[in-house]
Amino acid sequence: MMGPMPYVILSVLLLVLGLAIVISKRNAIVMLIGVEFILNAAALNLVAFSRHGAGDLSGQTAALFVIVIASAEAVVALAIFLNFYHRIATVDIDRGDQLRG
Amino acid sequence: MLEKAIFLLFAVPTVVAGVAILLSKNIVRMAFWLIAMLIAVGGLYFLMGAYFLGVIQIMVYVGGVAVLLVFGVMLTSRQLAPKLRPGPMETVWLAAVSMALLLGLVLSVAQVRWVQGPIASPNSPAEIGHSVMGDFLGPFELASVLLLVAMLGAAYLARPKVPVQSPEGSKETTI
Repeated sequence: MMGPMPYVILSVLLLVLGLAIVISKRNAIVMLIGVEFILNAAALNLVAFSRHGAGDLSGQTAALFVIVIASAEAVVALAIFLNFYHRIATVDIDRGDQLRG
Repeated sequence: MLEKAIFLLFAVPTVVAGVAILLSKNIVRMAFWLIAMLIAVGGLYFLMGAYFLGVIQIMVYVGGVAVLLVFGVMLTSRQLAPKLRPGPMETVWLAAVSMALLLGLVLSVAQVRWVQGPIASPNSPAEIGHSVMGDFLGPFELASVLLLVAMLGAAYLARPKVPVQSPEGSKETTI
């Protein structure tokens, strides 16, 4: 029987990979993919601790809320990026400093 | 032993997907790797006995969020897609920051002495429902408000900005 340790290590790896994707990619939508990695890392941790530590369902329910918030975040961020694209005709994050009001 | 094998079966694709996204240049392939990662994490949920959560992960993430991201990619990537590779100096910084964070987190995690609690048994959706409507009732209501606000906000932000004829006739306004 494995403890929570492998899941936590995997979660750390997912967090670092997601952060690296958010930092390195200039495309706004690819940055969203990195954010999904980070949120999945958090949810994985919650479920692992729910199973191995608390022994009740609170971690799983919290992971459910993580999924809800991630989907809402993806929708709003995509709408913002589409708006950005209509104005500047690119999703290059570095061009974001051209936005004025 | 079998549990370890299944864990590796799902854990390796998640990390491979992350590395592949970091190295890839094709945005649609990145979206595919995201889907692979989400399914693998769903498999890990199944392995941990969170069956309902695994199904929700695949339905909402793969069926909803990933498809949404693919649509976003297709709606925005034209010939003038931005260059996706960081420069050499940025790569050095990126590797330094990532490795520092990875080492710090792994070392701190490795020093924790885990106290093994009782293993939670696999649960049914009904128990999750009781948990959501019981202990988590406040966050549940907040989440419903959040979804409403996100839906309205996304519909407002993504609407087409077409000039419309105002009822008076001559003056054109944009809504």
